[in-house]
Amino acid sequence: MLRLDGLRKSFGPTLAVDGVSLAVNPGEVFGLLGPNGAGKSTTIHLAVGLLSPDAGRVEIRGLGPPTDPAARRVIGVAPQSLAVYDDLTGRENLAFFAGLFGLGRAERRRKADEALEAVGLLDRAADRAGTYSGGMKRRLNLAAGIVHDPSLIVLDEPTAGVDPQSRDNILGMVRRLAQRGRTVVYTTHYMEEAEKLCDRVAVIDRGRLLDLGTVHELIARHGGDTTVTITRGRGDHARSDAVPTKDPARTLREAMASGGDITAVRVDRPDLETVFLTLTGRSLRDA
Amino acid sequence: MSPALSIAMNDLRLLLRDRVNAFFVFVFPLLFAMFFGSIFGGGGEGRGRMTVAVVDEDRTPASLAFVESLRADEALAVGGPMSMGQAESLVRQGKTTALVFLPEGFGEASDGLFAGRSLPIRAKVDPSRRAEAGLLTGKLNEIAFRRMTGLFSGEGWRDRLALARDRLAREPVAGPRGEALGTLLDDLGVFYERMESADDAAPDESGRAGEGGGVGGFSPVDVKVEELTRDLAGRPKNSYEVSFPQGIVWGLMGCVMGFGVSLAHERTRGTLVRLTTAPISRGTILLGKALACFVACLLVQAMLLGFGMLVFGIRLDGPSAWAMMGLAVLCSSVGFAGVMMFVAGISQTGPGAEGFGRALILILTMIGGGTVPLFMLPGWMQTAGMISPFTWATRAIEGALWRGFSPGEMALPCVVLIGFGAAGWVVGVRAMKWTT
Repeated sequence: MLRLDGLRKSFGPTLAVDGVSLAVNPGEVFGLLGPNGAGKSTTIHLAVGLLSPDAGRVEIRGLGPPTDPAARRVIGVAPQSLAVYDDLTGRENLAFFAGLFGLGRAERRRKADEALEAVGLLDRAADRAGTYSGGMKRRLNLAAGIVHDPSLIVLDEPTAGVDPQSRDNILGMVRRLAQRGRTVVYTTHYMEEAEKLCDRVAVIDRGRLLDLGTVHELIARHGGDTTVTITRGRGDHARSDAVPTKDPARTLREAMASGGDITAVRVDRPDLETVFLTLTGRSLRDA
Repeated sequence: MSPALSIAMNDLRLLLRDRVNAFFVFVFPLLFAMFFGSIFGGGGEGRGRMTVAVVDEDRTPASLAFVESLRADEALAVGGPMSMGQAESLVRQGKTTALVFLPEGFGEASDGLFAGRSLPIRAKVDPSRRAEAGLLTGKLNEIAFRRMTGLFSGEGWRDRLALARDRLAREPVAGPRGEALGTLLDDLGVFYERMESADDAAPDESGRAGEGGGVGGFSPVDVKVEELTRDLAGRPKNSYEVSFPQGIVWGLMGCVMGFGVSLAHERTRGTLVRLTTAPISRGTILLGKALACFVACLLVQAMLLGFGMLVFGIRLDGPSAWAMMGLAVLCSSVGFAGVMMFVAGISQTGPGAEGFGRALILILTMIGGGTVPLFMLPGWMQTAGMISPFTWATRAIEGALWRGFSPGEMALPCVVLIGFGAAGWVVGVRAMKWTT
């Protein structure tokens, strides 16, 4: 659906994207993970044609580069910022954005109401967006990206700073889009979201693609062993031993067999966060 | 609906929904025009006059006549006569600009003007209004000289000359000064006799002899002040025809700020990203933005002109004036839409656009005569005003409204305004940043 091929982009002396190549398959939810300043947003901007690459190319399957109007018709974008007009109602916002994609008056209204219903805002359709809460605005922002029913949807941090209810609604929305065969490119800082939602994940840092695969593949490659922590004794006499292992059950059996007063056992499986930290390091990123 | 039109309609709707922006585009210019139109005297009697309190301690026919002359002057609003204490209190409180004091002996001095006496007139002015002291001095001199001329004109000149001779005889002035006064009175006698003979020989053409204009219609000074206008129809009918063009240009500046800041805000808010990722060209987006500003400029001009015509009696005389106004309004709208693109393109963020826009507008309006009248500015600044679209838009609108511009005369401001529009468009579009 979307192919990035050897993308490079610099801003002055800063190399923001350094030879990123990847392909997003039709109908999959594709996660793009990386620390702050890793080049995620620049990659997204290149993918949707907001920026021109210094080298490499972007192709929307069968439609050419994203600067082509035909390709743009199938792309929907929900930027990280709340890109809606506060002085327009929710319905007016969506109808206006739908109009830019050539939808007629009646269809604009119908599509706007469908999108509002999808994100749970139909009952507030006639209220100005400026009166919405942060979570509601975030959902309206998502609705504005899908109002013209695109086949490729790019969501840049769609759950940043929202309450659990709005997050649940947004994640449900993304799942429904995927079930309807839409392709979703999703950037987030929340690893558990990516783990739950994404069919495949790409980790980028310092403008480079570090690895790409399913969550299981990435964990298998970079997650390391499961850690079994066994605590013996109580109170001031308690002592914990963390044992890295590929077979936690066997490690636990061996511990039990060795005897002693086992008072607690904890099993820590590697997850996407482990992968992320392994690939990008633990140093703070303030960029 | 085309995307550009759709963007323009959306921006206009946003403008109307933002009360602060709408106020500065539509209401503030109207208040500006009404306020300055009224304070510059367009509203009728009593406006634009200097207030003066009179203290008459002489209370002779001569002093009373002088007070009446003050009252008759259109530039002065005279209060009193009153006591010195009352008058000083009014000036101190800022309720009156100045007081005029006629001391005892004013009438006597008036009778003895040609016997070496001076007409004693004193005035005290509010220190915060020194600029008006000059006007008052001029007015008092004018009225005093008018009165002097009246004393020695008409049928009574023989009596007044005799009175002056008697006074000089009773209270002689010593030395060459006394001799000179005697000679003056003799010569005045001869002068009046001859002027009367001339009047008998040739009837007075003006028919104003002896009415204060001098003997036989003669006056040593004849000053007439006229406004330089093409003809009677090309003269501003009232001060609102001067203030409304300025108000209109303030409205255009409001459009520049409103749309320029809004476009810069769209960049930081992210809505520009949405527009840019839609299947429309960047040229279409900018065209829509400029179209919205252009339409708002047309609307604000039409609204203010319509209001001025309906309420304040400003009018366009004939089809030619209407055509010129149409041209002025169109070209002003083009020019200011371009200035808007310049502000939006140069500024990276909404707050940046607000700061830059305010500074730019302040400078352009100041050198364009929008804050301080041009004649009060130094010469170099008046020349610098030529780079302000404020100057040219005001000139074009005034040209259509009351200066009676011909198409040839209207061409220059129109071409300059279109030039501003084109330059603003080119620079703004080139400098435009589409993402943050």
